[in-house]
Amino acid sequence: MKKDELIANGVAVLFFGFMLLYSFRMQGVRRFGDMGSEFWPIMILSGALTLSIALLIGNFRKYRKEVKDGAASEFLSDEAALVLKQGRRKYWLSVICLLGYIIVMPWIGFILSTFIFVYAFILSLEERRKLVLAISPALVTALTVVVFGRFLNLPLPRGGEFLAALSRFIY
Amino acid sequence: MFEHYLSAFASVLQPEIILVLCLGGLWGLLAGALPGISTSMGVVLLLPFTYTMSPLAAFTILVAAYCGGITGGSITSILFGIPGEPSSVPTVIEGHALAKQGHAAYALWVFLICSIGGGIFSVFVMMGATPIIANFALRFGPPEYFALTMLGLSVVSGLSGGSVLKGMIACLFGIFLATVGTDGISGQERFTFDTTILLGGISFVVAMVGLLAVSEIFIEAQEPFQAYKGGAKYHGMKGQLPKFAEFKRNWGTLIKSPIIGTIVGALPGAGATIASFLAYGEAARISKNPEKFGNGAVDGLMATESANNASTGGAMTILLSLGIPGSNTTAMLIAAFLIHGMQPGPLLLTTRPDIIYGIFVAMLMANIFLLGLTIFGIRVFLQLNRLPYSVFSAAIMILCVIGAFGLSNNMDDLFLMFGFGLLGYYMRKYGFPIAPAVLGLVLGDLAEASLRRSLLLSLGDPLILISRPISAILIAAAIFSIVYPLIRKPKALKDVSG
Repeated sequence: MKKDELIANGVAVLFFGFMLLYSFRMQGVRRFGDMGSEFWPIMILSGALTLSIALLIGNFRKYRKEVKDGAASEFLSDEAALVLKQGRRKYWLSVICLLGYIIVMPWIGFILSTFIFVYAFILSLEERRKLVLAISPALVTALTVVVFGRFLNLPLPRGGEFLAALSRFIY
Repeated sequence: MFEHYLSAFASVLQPEIILVLCLGGLWGLLAGALPGISTSMGVVLLLPFTYTMSPLAAFTILVAAYCGGITGGSITSILFGIPGEPSSVPTVIEGHALAKQGHAAYALWVFLICSIGGGIFSVFVMMGATPIIANFALRFGPPEYFALTMLGLSVVSGLSGGSVLKGMIACLFGIFLATVGTDGISGQERFTFDTTILLGGISFVVAMVGLLAVSEIFIEAQEPFQAYKGGAKYHGMKGQLPKFAEFKRNWGTLIKSPIIGTIVGALPGAGATIASFLAYGEAARISKNPEKFGNGAVDGLMATESANNASTGGAMTILLSLGIPGSNTTAMLIAAFLIHGMQPGPLLLTTRPDIIYGIFVAMLMANIFLLGLTIFGIRVFLQLNRLPYSVFSAAIMILCVIGAFGLSNNMDDLFLMFGFGLLGYYMRKYGFPIAPAVLGLVLGDLAEASLRRSLLLSLGDPLILISRPISAILIAAAIFSIVYPLIRKPKALKDVSG
């Protein structure tokens, strides 16, 4: 049992608790016989909160027992710690890449943002082969635009004025 | 009914539908064959392609991908010893053992023939059973629907993996998500926090893409896919076709396994994995050579392959006749129905017979076509396994973005998808299963609406839920389904760590 798992359980309790309090504030307009729009969420959130508290208590007991037995602390070798650190770094980089992609897409359009995203994303996953880095962003972008923009006519974001005008030549 | 079939055959045999069927089948095979992409993820990634398709083409491509995904999981299982799908684990045990003994092509033939046979058997069961169940379900009123959704949600223990408690929390979270947005009965805003982004509620597709696909890419980013180098040698499919006597010798297994697969597939929450393990266990029990199990038992391979493909027909029967999804993949199909403006359930058979009979025929054709597609595709799939995973995951991420955006051409949906991706990542990391949350999200709305309508009918008397026989039986079954695993495995509640 790790400490961060306990924290995750705690976050679940806080989330369901907050939502339950919020749902008590809802004042439904109801007809005779109708249970109102707040009843179902209150029921569901009460159940979720109860189970989350049970999970937290169970995990806390387990954690305390492990601390008592000296089994809670986890020692990692230098190599394992490095792999873990690299994994976390790649995760955060991929999260940032996706968020950046979503944020810039309306401004610079689908084509340019996808090209940049693919390059940054595969780089964040530690792809270092020059051929892959050179070809794949253009290839993936072109395939996506042809299939979805031209073939399936999905209205992909076009970006600002100049880029929008440019994109009209392509899809 | 006969004219519906004739018309469905005429529609499905159009060149463009055959083309999408082949593409869907190939994509499904690929998704199943590649570790890191599940059948449900394969189906959800196909959704954006279906937005502009006709409903029949959309369902053809999706069911072909569903059948292909279940089949494809066995290719890497036999050749590499890597289960592409959880249901392929027994295939790894027997099929890969055969491949390592130099019988890779033989094992692939057995897998193919049994998979296709099991799939076709279940399609015929589906064709026969769906109208009967749907006709029966036409008598259902709101209390029966509420009971039915409760039964659907009660399978959460089957979808929970290690911890039932975490599965239940995830399921309740999914139901909670379904309450976000404008209440359909009173028109009141719920949990929108005065934003417009949540006013219309949380879209299934956006949530599913985030929870299932985006979170998987985040997980894979942290633990990159390693190409497996210990695969068995594959020299093509020629010359090792199993003899008819081989099948004749195992006729008992070949009859029992598809039946087990179809029945288990129809049970919500059970699915292909339980079906293949049950059939495998049964084959081991009746085998004349039980000592061979674990070392390349052909009857074990036959059992697991016939059963896991047969589960597709069972699952589709319940989806089409009652509108209840029993697994992630069938939940995706519910989303596809809603995208195309249809509510799956018993009424659909009378309102849109073209679609339902079209799905029957498309599934039948998909199973037949999969034989050729698999033989044609094996070498391609083996090559694709060598593609740089970084590029592959970037392409999947773009499909996710297009899938979430293309639904209503709204950038807000992309932020929701991103949020669900992060949420799914942390849920997986801390052992909260995703499948119950998806099930809760899909069924939550129907459960609430039918409960409230029932209470309106009875002027607030909750006894209406147990005073009608069908509803009472279904509620009893739902309670049994929740309580039984807890009684049978009291450790489940204690095992809070998952």
